[in-house]
Amino acid sequence: MTGSLSTLVVGLWLLNIVLDTTGQLAFKAAAGDSDAGDGLARWKHMAARPWLWLGIGCYAVEFLVWIAFLSLIPLSEGVLLGSINIVAIMLAGRLLFGEKLTRLRVIGIALVTLGVAIVGLGG
Amino acid sequence: MRRFYLFGFLLLMAFDTLAQISFKVAGSQALPVQASVAWLLRVFGQPWIYGAVVGYVGAFFTWMALLKHAPIGPAFAASHLEVVSVMLLSIWLFDEHLTVARVLGAIAIIAGIVCLGLAESREQPPDDEPAPARV
Repeated sequence: MTGSLSTLVVGLWLLNIVLDTTGQLAFKAAAGDSDAGDGLARWKHMAARPWLWLGIGCYAVEFLVWIAFLSLIPLSEGVLLGSINIVAIMLAGRLLFGEKLTRLRVIGIALVTLGVAIVGLGG
Repeated sequence: MRRFYLFGFLLLMAFDTLAQISFKVAGSQALPVQASVAWLLRVFGQPWIYGAVVGYVGAFFTWMALLKHAPIGPAFAASHLEVVSVMLLSIWLFDEHLTVARVLGAIAIIAGIVCLGLAESREQPPDDEPAPARV
């Protein structure tokens, strides 16, 4: 990152990535639990375990982090930089859930990362 | 049915765009950023923050409704294309400028999102796949 983005902005951006990815993975863990049953029983099962709450907690904090982030940089730049969350979640899905990275996915991930890098470095 | 998808995607984009614009206005009116109760009170003390909530909730339900019917790949791609509408509206509403870096970056990001959407489409029929991450 260049001097055009302050330490606070970069910090908020990184925090947003961590919170978004953790939240998504927590929801995935909550929803993917095969012992959970159906209907109301499923919701009760999820509510008694930490994953759903971890996801909700991450999203609540992320909501505030994103507002703070966007208030410090132009919106057109902010939404583009935020696209990196797609990449982070796909890579985390690969690491933790063994999701496949096909060639087309790798190309997609590379292009999104390249785009975010151009915006981050160029402003 | 095609008209249903198109309407659904446009509605999703509209809700996402509303949320981002509202976030920006709400944040700008609450400056300076502080890790404090005072900042939180400023954020929640003006109406735009509720526009963001409406946008989020609306986008969530539109997404869930779309996923029941629409193929996952195009749905995934469409759900992220609000970057385009948000960028264009930012120029108009906030007097922002389209720098060369932003235009080039946006082109690469959109191309990447389209690739990821195609990858989802090829993978498996929508019935087998859990909802992909919405960011």
